[in-house]
Amino acid sequence: MPIDPSVVGRVYPPQFYEVSREKIREFAEAIGDANPAYVDTAAARGYGHGDVVAPPTFMMIIVMNGFDLLMKDLGIEFARVVHVDQRFTYSRSLPVGTRVEATTRLDGVRAVAGNDLLKIRTEVRDEQDGTDVCLSEATLLVRPEDLDGGDASD
Amino acid sequence: MTERVTEQLAVGDVVADHTYWITRENLIRYAGASGDFNPIHWNERVATSVGLPNVIAHGMLTMGLAGRLLTDWLGDPAAVVEYGARFARPVVVPDDDIGVAVRVAAAVTAVRDDGLVALELTVKVDDQKVLTQARALCRLPADRPSQS
Repeated sequence: MPIDPSVVGRVYPPQFYEVSREKIREFAEAIGDANPAYVDTAAARGYGHGDVVAPPTFMMIIVMNGFDLLMKDLGIEFARVVHVDQRFTYSRSLPVGTRVEATTRLDGVRAVAGNDLLKIRTEVRDEQDGTDVCLSEATLLVRPEDLDGGDASD
Repeated sequence: MTERVTEQLAVGDVVADHTYWITRENLIRYAGASGDFNPIHWNERVATSVGLPNVIAHGMLTMGLAGRLLTDWLGDPAAVVEYGARFARPVVVPDDDIGVAVRVAAAVTAVRDDGLVALELTVKVDDQKVLTQARALCRLPADRPSQS
């Protein structure tokens, strides 16, 4: 069943996230990235940061929390979802200890060849002073339910 | 005065080029680290049931690897000001110990007066682009070592 376009414009409650040293390390290791700025405070200071910073695509962890809310709201299981595109515009770095809030908005729904394309905009702001940290713009493709065929027991 | 590195860059310059390998183990690690447990990235039965040829890599893992090329080149990870891509083709990850090779290259598309450099990333598996419109805007520090 296609997604009802009346859901466009929905804004989900802000999701809070605190950037931790161990999560930065774990994420950097998962992408095989040995940049010392992720684990070594002195190295990060050499680039003018107060402490270690997160890799650019770490931001997806924060953005995904809002996607989860949106998927639950629209009754979409993740196995039907394919990430089509992703863009981040960074206003500043993301050092350890930063507390952010991410606000997710469903910007558009378009049916294409039996699938639904969702445009999702997420504004990530510093929790304390409200300044912009990052803007995320994503497109997700949602496959129709019937392709899941007989696998409802998962 | 320190010479700005941007003055040494020209449109078309390939500033970095590397081949990354993705195995099933990498997918499991990335799932855990990112919190993206979509079963199409680790469960062959679910992946094929939704019409995929096999388990595929997280698009964000491929984008993360391509981003590594940028941050390895830049040094400072926060020098990436904008970064985006379209996940044009699934990266199928075989159930073996070798994995799939992803070849990434970054070329300069613009050198701006404000010191920002626009780059286009070419990200290929078997000579086919898996990411398209993969573009980044980066800030080059004035004192960055001037090797290419």
